[in-house]
Amino acid sequence: MSQPTPAALDHLRVVELGDFISAPYAGKLLADLGADVIKVESPAGDGARAHGPFPDDEPHPERSGLFLFLNANKRSVVLDLDTTEGRADFERLVGWADVLLHNVPPADLERWGLTYEQLSEQHPELVMVSITVFGYDTPYRDWKGYALNATVASGISYRIGDADRSPLWLPFCAADFQGGVHGAVAAMLALRARRQSGEGQHAWLSIVEVMGVYLGGAGIPTFVFQGQLRGRAGKHMAAFYPWQVAAVADGYFEVITMVDAQWQRFVELMGNPPWREDERLENRWLAFQWADELDEYWHPWLRARTKDELAELFAANHIAFQPVQTLDEVVASAHLAERGFWQEVEHPVAGRYRTLGAPYGLSETPWAIRRPPPLLGQHTDEVLDALRAGVAAPAPAAGADGRAR
Amino acid sequence: MTPPLTGIRVLDHGHVWAGPLLGASFVDMGAEVIKVLAPGRTSGVSMAGARTIGVGTGAPDDPLSYHGYDRGKRSITLNLGSPEGKALYRRLAAASDVIVENFSAGVMSRLGLGYEELSAVNPRIILASLSATGETPGPWRDLVTYGPSLAALYGLKSLLGYHDDPFPREDTADLDPTAAGHAFFAILAALEWRERSGRGQHLAMAQGEATMQRIAEPLMDYFINGRVASTQGNRYPGMAPHGIYRAAGDDRWISIAVRDDDEWTALLTVAGDAAPTLREARFATLAGRLAHQDDLDRAMETWTAGWEPMALTERLQAARVAAFPVMGPPELAGEPNYLALLRSHTELDARVQVGADQIYQSVPWKLTRTPGGIQGPGPATLDADNDYVFGELLRIEEEERGRLRERGVI
Repeated sequence: MSQPTPAALDHLRVVELGDFISAPYAGKLLADLGADVIKVESPAGDGARAHGPFPDDEPHPERSGLFLFLNANKRSVVLDLDTTEGRADFERLVGWADVLLHNVPPADLERWGLTYEQLSEQHPELVMVSITVFGYDTPYRDWKGYALNATVASGISYRIGDADRSPLWLPFCAADFQGGVHGAVAAMLALRARRQSGEGQHAWLSIVEVMGVYLGGAGIPTFVFQGQLRGRAGKHMAAFYPWQVAAVADGYFEVITMVDAQWQRFVELMGNPPWREDERLENRWLAFQWADELDEYWHPWLRARTKDELAELFAANHIAFQPVQTLDEVVASAHLAERGFWQEVEHPVAGRYRTLGAPYGLSETPWAIRRPPPLLGQHTDEVLDALRAGVAAPAPAAGADGRAR
Repeated sequence: MTPPLTGIRVLDHGHVWAGPLLGASFVDMGAEVIKVLAPGRTSGVSMAGARTIGVGTGAPDDPLSYHGYDRGKRSITLNLGSPEGKALYRRLAAASDVIVENFSAGVMSRLGLGYEELSAVNPRIILASLSATGETPGPWRDLVTYGPSLAALYGLKSLLGYHDDPFPREDTADLDPTAAGHAFFAILAALEWRERSGRGQHLAMAQGEATMQRIAEPLMDYFINGRVASTQGNRYPGMAPHGIYRAAGDDRWISIAVRDDDEWTALLTVAGDAAPTLREARFATLAGRLAHQDDLDRAMETWTAGWEPMALTERLQAARVAAFPVMGPPELAGEPNYLALLRSHTELDARVQVGADQIYQSVPWKLTRTPGGIQGPGPATLDADNDYVFGELLRIEEEERGRLRERGVI
């Protein structure tokens, strides 16, 4: 047996009271670097278990693709927080944990008596991370929001879509994933502060703010500095020209020329057509207003060529345009295969399935799937028995209860 | 309480967006971040610098150029192409904790400043390399990309557009900040590991692979069922209604999302008798609403079109239905929740004032005990901190610094 590879966070104990995507994705980031993440589920289970995608669309709590992606490397404990016993067990778990990660509405925590103020009385070293759409210390704290509403409230949607049709969100709950990333960041920051002071704290974030400010979606800087309001421009982005999706013979291409050299190279590649002298192209920050007319100069050249042909041409000429790849094309990519990106996991109920690999490489403490996603309540007895017996640290059962490649 | 990253020194080679934003995240939470740029460069400006946003001269001595993602950073000039410059850089690396770069794959190694070389002078160094497609060999390694084209290559773009039209629409480019967020987390984890092991490490990220995580759901559907998702519009599996609907007024819209039948019942109580179509039996269950989504969306819009979007939002929220109006910068700049977020814990720091009293930036991680905040404006010039870094940190005498300057090393 070779020495086990060290994991960056294998000393961390995390309780995840997480439903669906945001807090579970934060938990995943921690768990995939080795943290012992205990996922507290209601008797009905995390909503992602009921969401799918399921094989042949037949719902099954252990076969949801979204759940499987988000919850590998975690343990599952079922607690009914509406009961006194459930809450007592939860408090014991909190006493064991370094971090409590949650995305439940603040009002629910108040109803259960599990607010930061209440929990930190007994556990001043606790780091509690709250990930909600509208934030904690804010006027809309108790408003309901899903990823769609968060995208809209951040200002992101204001700029996506056609001028005469509805604004668009970033599909598949991109906002919730952002909430998860920054929840994990907040946990690490608070843990670092605890190293210095010995004190825990409450760290919260608003998914709206993450989307609007960290992702720059609100366009507030542009508005403030330029007084310019850029709305929806459909296939174009209302900024410098060209920045757009364009049709080619067999699909679509992303065309973006942030720097002049890129634009000049592209024009040369097309054989230096005379229209390059059109004075409207002189300042590409202003050219956007004539985008539809200017497009006519070069769109026919693109439409006469295939994605493969163009991808090769642009790569050879160091031009940053890339094909809009469909998901099957992405999965078939030789590049991702050569990097060993995709992973396979063996699961006791779902069987062997493929999933996404590491978001980053860490040379000393690599990302890894060490155990498959838990069955609902799989670790309830193991964890609660240890806690009730007063064992300070319920260790994961020896050996991996599944294998991952 | 000091912010949590106080005492951490970061060398920032970020350019355009992902790198500079990552550096800004470190600054906001208390780290000392030093931008490293080649001497004589006229444009060391990150994406939210003034040149890009269309004001200021873009000249290196124009302070407006640095207020965006270079807020609070120090800046030095150093020629990494010269042997003397490399030697100075190694000394600087020895005095630093984290190095952030988003050059093309392999650039640092070719300069002789790869992880092997840097960890030899400082085994505690954490080098974060945010390339587009990864540093290992593969057909995409040397591609030139920007966030939006990388999003196309990794499949994200194929999903964004109207559900009835496969032509993708352009988006606001979330690839760079998504990569930066993931990298920030991973570096903090590496710092945590360093506390325990005494050792640094190399974080190598392919920005495309980090960002692709957020489309795991349709990728899993492809793996499980062989279905290839296309443009989604505002729809989402398992929820209906789930849309952005026209409201009263010029180009006014409201987002409404319903996850289960209880929320639907609550929505109907708000609608009252005003929208009889919504009460049709085929819409009564989630399965029915999903099966008749086109009709449902039309019926929703017939109803919402009569409402001012915030008035309807307030009604729906009172009934525990998720809703919010589409807002742009002018409204957001005065929107109470947004203002509360910007001001929480960072109060005055939340504003960087550049000629106008306007809100510009805030820090999303609200640490109640050790908050971060905007630390100050960007550096006034590219070499603003040469004396501090080469003089105070590396203890190079003034005379010698003069010689280095003459030879174009700094």
